[in-house]
Amino acid sequence: MAEQLAIGGLTKSFGGLVALDAIDLRIARGELVGLIGPNGSGKTTLLNIVSGYYAANDGQVRYEGRAILGWAPHQLARIGIGRSFQVTKVFRRLTLLENMLVSGLADWRESRAAATDRAMAILDDFKLTHLAHEPAANLSGGQAKLLEFARIMMLSPKLILLDEPFGGVHPELKSFMYDKVRAWNADNVTVILISHDMGSIFGLCRRVVTLSYGNIICDGTPEETRADKAVLEAYLGDQHAA
Amino acid sequence: MIRRNSFKAAGAACLLLFFLGLPLLGLTDYWIYTLTIGFYYALLAASWSLLVGYVGRISFAQAAMSGLGGYVSALSVIHFNLPVAGGLLLGILLAGLIGFAIGLLTLRLHGAYLGLTTIAFGEILRIAITAEHGVTEGSRGLQAPALIPGGTQLDYYYLFLAITVFSLLLMWLILRSRIGLFFQSIREDEDGAASLGVDVTLWKALAFACSSAFAGLAGGLYAHFVQLITPSMMSLQEMGFVLAMAVVGGFHNVLYAALGGVMLQSLLEALRAFGEWRLVIFGLLAILMLRFAPNGLFGMLADTLRKKGKSHG
Repeated sequence: MAEQLAIGGLTKSFGGLVALDAIDLRIARGELVGLIGPNGSGKTTLLNIVSGYYAANDGQVRYEGRAILGWAPHQLARIGIGRSFQVTKVFRRLTLLENMLVSGLADWRESRAAATDRAMAILDDFKLTHLAHEPAANLSGGQAKLLEFARIMMLSPKLILLDEPFGGVHPELKSFMYDKVRAWNADNVTVILISHDMGSIFGLCRRVVTLSYGNIICDGTPEETRADKAVLEAYLGDQHAA
Repeated sequence: MIRRNSFKAAGAACLLLFFLGLPLLGLTDYWIYTLTIGFYYALLAASWSLLVGYVGRISFAQAAMSGLGGYVSALSVIHFNLPVAGGLLLGILLAGLIGFAIGLLTLRLHGAYLGLTTIAFGEILRIAITAEHGVTEGSRGLQAPALIPGGTQLDYYYLFLAITVFSLLLMWLILRSRIGLFFQSIREDEDGAASLGVDVTLWKALAFACSSAFAGLAGGLYAHFVQLITPSMMSLQEMGFVLAMAVVGGFHNVLYAALGGVMLQSLLEALRAFGEWRLVIFGLLAILMLRFAPNGLFGMLADTLRKKGKSHG
């Protein structure tokens, strides 16, 4: 498998707090990787650096052979890195269709008609067609998460970073979202998934990377992760692991 | 959707006819003059709402930008013998450029910090123009050449109306293009917009530039109409007027904000007997609007008409 994302010696600190401590991580095209770890372990920081929202203190990130540290988020979006946010960032006063069009039209080569066609097809795929002309403010929390998924699709992404996409989502909707993640992955799109919901992680991902205090303490299959002593320690404390 | 658009077009056509026909109702020169100044405020309020209502960036330097346009235009006509149109163009350009610079400098500022920075900037500009009286004549006022030499009040009325309509049309075209969508996505959520490929830095700065350029145009027109400008046109009190006009008219729509400009300027003259109390009334009106009708008077009116149209259709 071709390597898509290569992170080397990535370090990030906030004041005296080291959020990422010289992380090394390689991810191949088409992988579905779960990223777990206790609160404050550096998961979201890692995602924010890869998607251009944070600057790193040291290290490098290569995406499809290009060094992308220092790139702005919109530049990364345009080369196929899509992401969702822990707290959804849908445009509440814009309609669902307009929400979709933003990512389509950000590429000046795409006409409005072509972007609209594409957007409507994706909304249809997400069963949101009937809400296309409604303001996003009218959506439920779960639907807003779904809209974020749909918007990412407008980017024709090659790497998708999902930050707690299933938080507070109804089980039925959640299983629909699982299907979407699996469908992306079947299309050779790489997915990195952060979730506190271990059921989602172990159900979806074939590889799980565990962070603790800014270090990768385990990188393996779900079975290996579950059995790993360091992971248990990180989550439950020393006494339980022993 | 088609119905809604034809409703809007019909409304805009009615308004245009109204303002075209208004002078024919036997208005005195005084009222024609007042309405012409009203168009100046309309343009200024619309340019402010372009930034605040659509991009979500606050600025209290709009009156200062208008003054900049006015002074640059007047001075370049006086000193460089530019034709008035050339002076206006230079004013627009410079206001746009400085707007772009403010946009870049304030990229990471939000809320109170952004507001305070723009106030400081506007005041610096006003005080600099007051202090540099060797060039600008300071508080004594700068005489600007006439826009239409020998023109009547009516000539100015129709010219201001035409330029205001043209500018609103231009703003509308910008706002309904993909640029308008980028603006609104930034207003809604900057990080979200960036994650979808919108160059937030560029569009935020360009929005400031665009809004300032329209303010510069307004100020230039004003200077060559009243033919005597003082730095007081850049004061925070003037800014307060513009703000009240946009808020009372409806700052989420450039047309409503513009109508607010004409309306409040007319009221300002009609209520002369109330003296300074008019400003208190406008301030209160703006506060009440923000609390009870955030879409402004014309936004509220349009909503009511639309609902009525629906229930009858």
